[in-house]
Amino acid sequence: MEKLVVIGAGMASGRVLEHLFDAAPGAFDVTLFNAEPRGNYNRIMLSPVLSGEKSAEEIVTHDADWYARHGVATRFGERVTAIDPARKVVTGENGEVPYDKLVIATGAAPFIVPLPGHDLPGVIGFRDMEDTGAMIAAAATPGATAVVIGGGLLGLEAAAALRLRGMEVTVLHNSGHLMNRQLDEAAGYLLEKDLARRGIKVITRAGTERIDGDGKVEKVVLGDGTEIAASLVVMSAGIRPRAGLGMAAGLAAGRAITVDAQMRTSDPDIFAVGECVEFEGNLFGLVAPLYDQARVLAKTLLGEEDAFVMRELSTKLKVTGCDLFSAGDFAEGEGREDIVFRDPARGIYKRLVIEADRLLGAVMYGDTADANWFFGLIKDGTDISEMRETLIFGPAFQGGGGPSADPLAAVAALPPEAEICGCNGVCKGTIVTAINGGAQTLETVKAQTKASASCGTCTGLVEQVLAVTLGAAFEAGGAKPVCGCTELTHEDVRRLIKARELKSQAAVWQELGWTTKDGCHVCRPAINYYLLADWPLEYRDDPQSRFVNERNHANIQKDGTYSVMPRMWGGMTTPEELLAIAAAAKKYDAAVKVTGGQRIDLLGVKKEDLPAIWKDLNDAGMVSGHAYTKGLRTVKTCVGSDWCRFGTQDSTGLGIKLEKRLWGSWTPHKVKLAVSGCPRNCAEATCKDVGIVCVDSGYQIGVAGAAGMDVKETERLVDVATEEEAIEWSTAFIQLYRENAKYLDRPYKWVAKVGLGWVKEILSDAAERRALNARFDVSQSVYQTDPWAALVTEEERKSWSSPLMDMSREAAE
Amino acid sequence: MLMTREAPTFVQVTEIWVPDGDVLIHAGGNYAGKDGFAESSVRTSFAKGEGLPGKAWAEGRPVVLKRFDGSYFLRAEAAAEAGLTAAVAIPVFDGDTLKAVLVVLCSEDAEHMGAIEVWEDKGGVLVLNDGFYGAAQEFEFVSQHTTFSYGQGLPGGVWAAGVPILMRDLGKGYAFLRADAAGRAGLSTGIGIPLPSPTDSTYVFTLISAEGTPIARRFEIWDARATTVGPAKEALLVDGLCEVEGPLWSGRNPDFDAPRAAAWRGPVGQVLGTGLPFISTGPGLPAGYGSMVALPVYHGGELAHVVAWYL
Amino acid sequence: MSWIDIGALDDIPPRGARLVRTGKGCVAVFRTGADEVFALDDACPHKGGPLSEGIVHGTSVTCPLHNRIFDFATGAAQGADSEVTRTYPAKIEAGRVLLDLSRLSGRSAA
Repeated sequence: MEKLVVIGAGMASGRVLEHLFDAAPGAFDVTLFNAEPRGNYNRIMLSPVLSGEKSAEEIVTHDADWYARHGVATRFGERVTAIDPARKVVTGENGEVPYDKLVIATGAAPFIVPLPGHDLPGVIGFRDMEDTGAMIAAAATPGATAVVIGGGLLGLEAAAALRLRGMEVTVLHNSGHLMNRQLDEAAGYLLEKDLARRGIKVITRAGTERIDGDGKVEKVVLGDGTEIAASLVVMSAGIRPRAGLGMAAGLAAGRAITVDAQMRTSDPDIFAVGECVEFEGNLFGLVAPLYDQARVLAKTLLGEEDAFVMRELSTKLKVTGCDLFSAGDFAEGEGREDIVFRDPARGIYKRLVIEADRLLGAVMYGDTADANWFFGLIKDGTDISEMRETLIFGPAFQGGGGPSADPLAAVAALPPEAEICGCNGVCKGTIVTAINGGAQTLETVKAQTKASASCGTCTGLVEQVLAVTLGAAFEAGGAKPVCGCTELTHEDVRRLIKARELKSQAAVWQELGWTTKDGCHVCRPAINYYLLADWPLEYRDDPQSRFVNERNHANIQKDGTYSVMPRMWGGMTTPEELLAIAAAAKKYDAAVKVTGGQRIDLLGVKKEDLPAIWKDLNDAGMVSGHAYTKGLRTVKTCVGSDWCRFGTQDSTGLGIKLEKRLWGSWTPHKVKLAVSGCPRNCAEATCKDVGIVCVDSGYQIGVAGAAGMDVKETERLVDVATEEEAIEWSTAFIQLYRENAKYLDRPYKWVAKVGLGWVKEILSDAAERRALNARFDVSQSVYQTDPWAALVTEEERKSWSSPLMDMSREAAE
Repeated sequence: MLMTREAPTFVQVTEIWVPDGDVLIHAGGNYAGKDGFAESSVRTSFAKGEGLPGKAWAEGRPVVLKRFDGSYFLRAEAAAEAGLTAAVAIPVFDGDTLKAVLVVLCSEDAEHMGAIEVWEDKGGVLVLNDGFYGAAQEFEFVSQHTTFSYGQGLPGGVWAAGVPILMRDLGKGYAFLRADAAGRAGLSTGIGIPLPSPTDSTYVFTLISAEGTPIARRFEIWDARATTVGPAKEALLVDGLCEVEGPLWSGRNPDFDAPRAAAWRGPVGQVLGTGLPFISTGPGLPAGYGSMVALPVYHGGELAHVVAWYL
Repeated sequence: MSWIDIGALDDIPPRGARLVRTGKGCVAVFRTGADEVFALDDACPHKGGPLSEGIVHGTSVTCPLHNRIFDFATGAAQGADSEVTRTYPAKIEAGRVLLDLSRLSGRSAA
């Protein structure tokens, strides 16, 4: 009998033995080493064992009886220290064993991120029964808290399991969304939401800095200083092949032991299988290819022909109640096309990736019924051109029409007592009664019920109630969707972002049923603004959803150059600033223009010069003038009581204070202010978004003026006595505008929609004004920063606009 | 196959009541030789609010009754003769519509260990609404003083996941906040089932089985949601445990080879076909079992899961 | 095909672009939300707008100057606009972005 020695009793080698004993019982005299003190078990089921949904006994694949029955000499708990290919012996801790054929199946080890503190007791990789037992023990302590580092498959399974055991669990993930290797952003978002429902905290883009503790793990510290208490840290940042033993024996290896398609290593009598092998540059972690390798290796050992080939893989997250499936390929490629299906009400997301009439990949969340069918199409490379239109609806809909989502169904389902208009407390039943009583247009409903008569954000809803109640008799008038990606209006989207606490673009796309994968140039800037205005602390501004001017902090000109404008507080400057501006203009060959907003604009600056000119101006004490933003632009002032014989108040001083308070804030459209020192109005305050005119008795605050395509005089908001009140009212008005207006509506357009009466009603409440100011402060704590100063080092400035690669010189030569 | 079917069991009687107009009528049961009680039951019907099944219907929630004397329990005399002392009624709702009421009856004495519990959402945590524990008094006490948050423990896990969950080895410190007390009572396997209710409350129903006096020796959880099996009236066996056959779940990931049940075929198929609970005393049950109970769980307007237990 | 390694995928922001400067003008290399890469001439055929500064959505980019939308795969403008910009083969291998600029040579003559 040939002597077969197997190192490692894992799932791959276990399957090899099963094949061997099936096909040729008694052909080999087998010795099986395993470093773990047990035989083969179903390692992929460790997560349910951790959660208690499976028992350790249940996942044993081969018990002592099985090994005895097949005459396997088991050396469990014994580490192999060396292989001598020349003498054909394996050295274990308890002595040598000779072999005719050797199978290395040493598997993989968890990758422990070398963070400071990674070697503290309580830091555990999640790999084997010992790890699982240690985690179960850790969870048994009352009040125990866990941090899982790595939001991949295994990490999330561990997190859910530990939560089921009663722990407080936080998942730290470096990428922007969970399971980024298997899922796209939308599915990752749904998963995060699902886990949050289980009480699991997820931090993405976590940037873990170190693990702290005195003798054992106590906390994890993030790059931003956040500290998370932890009595257990689970490292789940991937695996590394355990190839050391093979490499030490001189076998050819890359990242793991190199094998050919027959699973043979560089030594003809040594084979390798499983996670410790590298085949055509590929490493393996999922079980399906391991089983394929096992089948091939068994045949090779028996002298039969077979060859291992790479196949498409699919995977499912083993968290009970979380229905997620991902298969195939999402990698790059020209000519690929997405089919996306979302059902926000049921939390369903499906995405198919198609290329040349073949299905390449599928992600499914919340509805995995057709997973097997899609996976079959992927594996078989089926031509799907015939069923392309209905493909996403699965096999049941081939030849039949798919279900069509009815946007009005949700409104129809609302009970009569559901509140439609929050401002005036009007419920659906009241509106329906009015409609049935003859109010068949938005205007008559508004007049009779006061629904949508105030802030107007419920206009879309009222129209939908009209449409549901009247059916085809009602044609929605004027409510335009944001763009082609959605049926919803700006007002709907703003309302839903607040009401449903949507805090990311992926959340908006999914929950509101966007028809495109990631929006378009029309909706993205709007959604980005709504999110940052409504959730300043939770949402992170997305530069890729901004128009070029806001991304480059400068206005692009028609020739592709930019204009640069430093801030001059209240229109005041100094000789030093002027010298610096003049120097910069000469250095960067810029045209110089004095603007209508009392600033100096430098035109014609090349993109690559922007960081340098910003630095020069920063060095002279100036910051960005934000002349390029949908945000606070300028506060224009006259010289006021300091110099002017007519001046009644310090208009310049107030202008400077206002500008210092408001600068940096993002708004639905640009906002311009002015402060005039007397009713002669030299600062032209009466055509501004907010214009203050000083009088002997104090300050007249006007709002909603315009001097662009439309020209309109401001309307009086209020007269106040003190400077502080003027600043408080102005800020409250701007914050109310920030929170409620449609993107790209200037204040005068917004006020025309909601009515100055409503604005006055809100702002005349002192508590409301304070609250608006407080919310503005919160936003400013994040956004009042000088983008010019963001580039600190010379390296950052150089790389900011540098091409990814410069081949111009080579090409010219 | 050596199994002691004669061993004492925690649940003595299981019966099904279904609405017929404005009363509940008898629709099957396993009376395990308690013929007198069976006879008096078959002849009975309950109006809404009447008796234990009628109360579960009227209140839209599971009801535990631990003493029949002087209670609203209508068959008290027959029950006493049969040695039955406690009962739990589990209403099966599809939205606002009552499909059936499942009633289990037990006898309280020093031998019978086990737990049948009803957990209720009270302001964001699950607290014990009521439960029957037989002789597992310490476990009863611990349970009364335990609450579960979302995702925590068997009840919290079921609550958060919205699907039935089967947990093993409860007494060995596995995933069970009440593990110590469960271990001492010999409680080993627990199944948690979300119970939809037309009231505003959320209920989770748990059955916890001890080895000596088991509620069941085999448990199965079938997933019948369209998002899992498609439009066909079918179900996939997603988890299960059997003293005879061992683990019943697929070891694969994804579990494409999980056993599938179709409407009207086999006991689980009866539930898929009728949408009602099903009780069978064989023959034809897997692994030679003598009786089984299958309970449908509705969610979002569809028959979402079937939970089955066998003795 | 002659593939040139121009840098790491991570050097391009998702839904963003970076430039490759050549002796015959700039090529914009885009990365989509789904981590695909595409390359187009950086000049909009309409008025020369820098496409690399546009908003990337799906597999297209909107020119920052006049909102023409170009499809990455074909280089063609969407809808009524008839302009077509040149595309270059691009791919990702092992996290590196590879670009084939062999079509570039014909550009000055075109």
